[in-house]
Amino acid sequence: MELLSGWWDDFFWGSVVVAQVFLASLVLMVIFGLIGAAAKLSGNRIVQKIANGYTVVFRGTPEILVILLLYFGSAITLTWISRLFNPDIKFVDVPPFWAGTVAIALIVGSYATETFRGAFLGVRPGSIEAAKALGMSGLQVFFYIRIPEMWRLALPPFGNHMLSLIKDTALISIIGLNETLFVAKQAIGTTGKPFTMYIVVGLIYLGFSTVITLTVMALERYGNHTVRAR
Amino acid sequence: MISPQPLIRMQNVGKHFGTFQALKGINLDVIKGERIVVCGPSGSGKSTMIRCINRLEKHDEGRILIGDTELTDQIKDLNAVRREIGMVFQSFNLFPHMTILNNLMLAQKLVRKTPKAKARDIAMRYLERVKIPEQADKYPVQLSGGQQQRVAIARALCMKPEVMLFDEPTSALDPEMINEVLEVMVDLAREGMTMICVTHEMGFARSVADRVIFMDAGEIVEEADPETFFKTPQHERTKLFLSQILSH
Ligand SMILES: Nc1ncnc2c1ncn2[C@@H]1O[C@H](COP(=O)(O)OP(=O)(O)OP(=O)(O)O)[C@@H](O)[C@H]1O
Ligand SMILES: [Mg+2]
Repeated sequence: MELLSGWWDDFFWGSVVVAQVFLASLVLMVIFGLIGAAAKLSGNRIVQKIANGYTVVFRGTPEILVILLLYFGSAITLTWISRLFNPDIKFVDVPPFWAGTVAIALIVGSYATETFRGAFLGVRPGSIEAAKALGMSGLQVFFYIRIPEMWRLALPPFGNHMLSLIKDTALISIIGLNETLFVAKQAIGTTGKPFTMYIVVGLIYLGFSTVITLTVMALERYGNHTVRAR
Repeated sequence: MISPQPLIRMQNVGKHFGTFQALKGINLDVIKGERIVVCGPSGSGKSTMIRCINRLEKHDEGRILIGDTELTDQIKDLNAVRREIGMVFQSFNLFPHMTILNNLMLAQKLVRKTPKAKARDIAMRYLERVKIPEQADKYPVQLSGGQQQRVAIARALCMKPEVMLFDEPTSALDPEMINEVLEVMVDLAREGMTMICVTHEMGFARSVADRVIFMDAGEIVEEADPETFFKTPQHERTKLFLSQILSH
C-alpha cells in the first residue's frame, strides 16, 4: 500500500469521474432506449428503418471504435461548422467526458431499445383492456398500468445494461478522460508497477458493479413481490 | 305506449377483421334493468359484439348508441361512456402489480375522482358483497380463479356502472369455482342491474335472463325469452347448438 502513496487522491477523483460518466450515460441510455423502442413500435416504416439502422450499427461496431469515431467525428464536424463563422479557428476540442458519455450511452442504448420494446410487447393486453374498460385515459393506462408492468419485465436485462455501462466507462480513457484507468497508466509511468495499479482499478470497478448488482437485486425483489407464486 | 329509451341500441352493426366479417347486421336494444344472455358457438362473434359496446372493438357498419351518445370516431369523451359500462373478462384481467384493494380503488380515484377514503369504503363494501373482504391486502396471484373473478366483478361495480358486460366469466374457472361467481351474478341480476352476459351456463340463463340471444357466424340467429328459447327453439342452428351444450 506504500506503493500507492501519492496516488490515492488521483484514484479517488478518477472514481468520481467514473461515477459521473455512469450516471450521465445512464440517463442518456434510458432516453435513447425509449426513443429507439418507441420508433420500432411506431407504425411508421421509415422511422422503424432508422431505429433498425441504429441498433444494427451500434450493436455491430466495436465499442472502442464508436468512442473514437464519435470523439474525432464530432470534433471535425464542430471545427468545420465553427470555421463557417470564424475562419481563424484551427481546431475545436470536444470534451472527452461528453463524447465518451454519449458514445457509450448510444451503444448500450441500442441494447436497451430491444429491452424496452420487448417489455412493452410483454405486458399482458388483458390488464390494459380492463383499465380502458374502466374509463381510464390513455395516459393513465400508460403510467399506472403499462409502465409498472414493463418495469418488472425490463429490470433483469436493464441490470445487465447498467453493468455494461460501468465497464464501458473504462474505454473512455482512450480519448484522454482522466478516469481510473487513465490514472493507473500515469501511475505506472512513474512507479513502474503495472500489476498493482491495474489491481487497484479492478477493485474500484468491482466495487461499482457490486453496488449496481445489489441495487438491481433489491429492485427485482420489490418488483416481483406481487407476482410470486402462492 | 311509449317504450322506454334503450340504454344500448345497436342498429345494423357490422364489424370486419381484415376481409373477415365477424359481425353482420346486429340489431339489439337493451333497456334499463334488462338481463340478456348471449350464447353461440366459438367464433360466432359474441365477444366481438359486447366489446363493440364499450368500443374495445370499433364497429365499421351501422350505429351504436349508449344512451344519447353515439359511438363514432368523433366521440368527444369515450371514457365518460366507458366508465358507465362495467366489463368482466374471461381471464379476470386484474392489475397484477396492485393489491386487491388498490385494484378496486384505482379507477375510482382516477376516473371518478373519488377521494381516497371514500374510494376505500366503496371498495370494501363491494369486497364484502362478493364475500372476500379478508383478501383486500393480497395480490391477485395469491387468490384462486373464482376469487379473482369476484374481485374483477367488484372492481367494475365500484364504478357504479349503468350496465355490466360479462364475457364468459366462468369459462376459465375450475368447475368447483363456477358457482361462487354465478351466485354473485345472480344477486346482481336480482338487484336490477342491467346485464349482458355471454355465457354457456344455461342454468343461469334460465333463472335470470329476460332474453336469450343465440349467435352464429356473426349474426343474431334467434332471440327469445328463456322459456321459449329452451323449449321451442325455432332455428335448426339453435336446436343443434342446444343439443350439443345441454348434452354435457
Ligand atoms: N382481433 C381479431 N383479429 C382478427 N380476427 C378476430 C379478432 N377477434 C376476433 N376475430 C375473429 O372474429 C370471429 C369472432 O370472434 P369472437 O371472439 O367474437 O367469437 P366468440 O363468439 O366470442 O367465440 P368464443 O366462444 O371462442 O369466445 C372469430 O372468427 C375470430 O377468429
Ligand atoms: Mg369470446
